[in-house]
Amino acid sequence: MRGFAPFFVKEVRETARTWRIWVLPSIVIVFAVTGPVLAKVMPDLLRSMSGEQLGGAVIQLPEPTWRDAYAQWVKNLTQVVTFALLIMLGGTVASEVRSGTAAMVLTKPVSRSAFVLAKAAASGLLVTATTLVGAVLTWAGTLAVFGEAPIRPLAAPTAVWLAFAALVVAGMTLASALVTSPSGAAGIGLGLYAAASLVSLWGWAVEHTPVGLLGAPAALLAGERPPLAWPLATTAALTVAALVAAVVAFSRREL
Amino acid sequence: MERMRTAAVTGDAAIELVSVTKRFGQVVALDSVDLAVPPGRIFGFLGPNGAGKTTTIRLLTGLARPTAGSVRVLGRLVGDGDASAIGRVGYLPDVPAFYGWMTGEEYLLFAASLFQLPERTAYERARVLLEAAGLAGVRTRIAGYSRGMKQRLGIAQALINAPDLLILDEPTSALDPIGRKEVLDMIAALSGKATVFFSTHILADAERVCDEVAILDRGRVIAHAPIDEIRSRAGTRIAVEVVGDAGAVERAIAGAPWCRGTTREGARIVVQTSDRAAAQRDVPAIVAAARAGLVRFETVEPTLEEVFVDLVGSEA
Repeated sequence: MRGFAPFFVKEVRETARTWRIWVLPSIVIVFAVTGPVLAKVMPDLLRSMSGEQLGGAVIQLPEPTWRDAYAQWVKNLTQVVTFALLIMLGGTVASEVRSGTAAMVLTKPVSRSAFVLAKAAASGLLVTATTLVGAVLTWAGTLAVFGEAPIRPLAAPTAVWLAFAALVVAGMTLASALVTSPSGAAGIGLGLYAAASLVSLWGWAVEHTPVGLLGAPAALLAGERPPLAWPLATTAALTVAALVAAVVAFSRREL
Repeated sequence: MERMRTAAVTGDAAIELVSVTKRFGQVVALDSVDLAVPPGRIFGFLGPNGAGKTTTIRLLTGLARPTAGSVRVLGRLVGDGDASAIGRVGYLPDVPAFYGWMTGEEYLLFAASLFQLPERTAYERARVLLEAAGLAGVRTRIAGYSRGMKQRLGIAQALINAPDLLILDEPTSALDPIGRKEVLDMIAALSGKATVFFSTHILADAERVCDEVAILDRGRVIAHAPIDEIRSRAGTRIAVEVVGDAGAVERAIAGAPWCRGTTREGARIVVQTSDRAAAQRDVPAIVAAARAGLVRFETVEPTLEEVFVDLVGSEA
């Protein structure tokens, strides 16, 4: 993989010095910081709406716990953060091809496989680092607000989501290597995500495919034992396959 | 027009295209092109817009693949995965695109890192090239550069690896007259040290620095020769200045069998001739017969622009 290291360094520096550093980290950190606080005050907010505003109805809610704070984190990861990833990663390869910067780089000793894989690796690093920082902030916030914050119930769902995020990164790298438009690649990603959500209604798919990872973080937090072996194995296999396909597709493209 | 070639397809050329065809659907961008550029030459690749110049350069740089035929650069087949040639090539596209968040120096150091240059060499070359490009001390990010600044930075990055072959696509098109002169001087200075292959539609630029040119029209090489030879093949022109009835002299010359055409500005008549010796012999007699006096009689070298228009026009 000729040229991987210097191009990867450039990708990391680009992340640190452009809009990329603000989008995903901002979303994750805001949710991480506000999640425990929201979990704490939400019952009070709902109770305050009861009485006259609800025609005399009274809302009965249990006292919030650390589990509610973690539930906020898991919900945000599996919904908002996943959507943000799908949109943000649409331009991974396509934006450089469209702007002409790819042609400048690929006429130097950088192989197309290094170009694609360095981009995927940098995206993966950003997602992983951001998620870990967000998880630590969630844990600290939960401890501060609720006085209790066990690590395992937070770590397990976060790790499972990270496995799914690796597939998202690989899949979006493939989509971005296939089409010329960043928004087109994002559209492909969002379409596939919507399709996966529909397929998750099928029990066999939940037990044997990456679709099972969509609901697994929430199930783990609820203390259930969702099937993970097959979904994790197929996710890993599909992640590798998507990266290989991205390299092959981009190597065949004319720029 | 008969194709003129001086560089045979030998295998030791800096650039070698053999029967290269490139199609985009039904459109034939390049039609069985043979071209060999000897090492050390400043080679001008001329042609009107849409002739296939940029397509040829995309094939040379591996950004595209030929539909048929083979492309070799510095002896290596392009696209065979061998990286040894690409490390010896510098390339400037027609519209260079940079990472706008970098400064010019950062981009040159990034380019140097892709060529795996030692750090000290990279810094030294970046300093020298920024100086030569008039960008030394510019701390602005590239996003804030003018088109001319980007073009000069593009030339600098193409030279960062001290290439044996420099491929330039319209390198002077975005430059002001001073910048253009500096770039042409730089290209001329590389003569004998590196092969320079540059496409241009500015014929005066090619005329100024090239040893050899090829003219591409509608995907076909219609001429390829040293620049002096290509001029001489285009026919001889003779300028005749007379006193008296210049119109009558022009009409009489136009009737001569060796005359291919005339133009006149006042008393000055420019004659395109297929036989210079016959013209030299007959013109004084024609002038005398028209009761005019001969003031000046001289051979005029055709400009590359005239040759280009003549060749491209004759293929239409």
